[in-house]
Amino acid sequence: MTDSAAAQESLEAVLKDEIIRMYQDVADNPAGEFHFYHGREAAELFGYDPDWLDRAPVGAVESFAGVGNPHLRSHVQPGETVLDLGSGAGLDGIIASWSAGPTGRVIGLDLNPSMCLKVQANAAVSGVKMECREGRMEEIPLEDKSVDVVISNGVVNLSFRKRKVVQELFRVLKPGGRISMTDIVSAKQLSQSIINDPKLWAS
Amino acid sequence: MFRLLEESGFTKVKSVVVPNFRFKKAATQNAAEAYGVKAVLLTASRPAA
Repeated sequence: MTDSAAAQESLEAVLKDEIIRMYQDVADNPAGEFHFYHGREAAELFGYDPDWLDRAPVGAVESFAGVGNPHLRSHVQPGETVLDLGSGAGLDGIIASWSAGPTGRVIGLDLNPSMCLKVQANAAVSGVKMECREGRMEEIPLEDKSVDVVISNGVVNLSFRKRKVVQELFRVLKPGGRISMTDIVSAKQLSQSIINDPKLWAS
Repeated sequence: MFRLLEESGFTKVKSVVVPNFRFKKAATQNAAEAYGVKAVLLTASRPAA
């Protein structure tokens, strides 16, 4: 392994820890102050239907930390298989489950195993079927061509290996499958000091 | 991201800006604006065949 590859691997490991810490903090401390909007305030800002937010478990709503509303273009149909990439406490996956219905399948994927436990608890409270897998978006633990729709909300920007993530999305989607994801983009190249700072990258 | 999706084989790639996205803290928002940071809704399809 070259020095630069080793440095990248080391930085990725630190970043993984920082991402887990930051979003765990939102989930554990939803009344806390963060530099991004979160919880119901954020969801309403991005146009989530207030009826969804009333219907979803409080624990899923208050931990919401997305950057937009992927449901505006996801058009999930009954019986479809949905992957919620970076599912957090499960709000987006639960909303997708309502559209996929009992014959559909929603699979969350999250770095943090304790988030998967939250998803399962929140899904049980809301009476929907939603699985959660612990894993990395660069190595999605799903079979080729197994998913109809990928939704994601503010997650892909957290990866150092976005090309690999996009290739993984292509791999797991069925032919004709689709993506609806919201994410952060930058018009300018970020400075090396930002790239090398896991706290800034994770946010 | 738009380019990465197209280069990876996706078609019908579209993006729209999330109109209400902003950071809560002014200092973060100011830094984000300096770098042209915005939130987008991206859609794309894997070709049917």
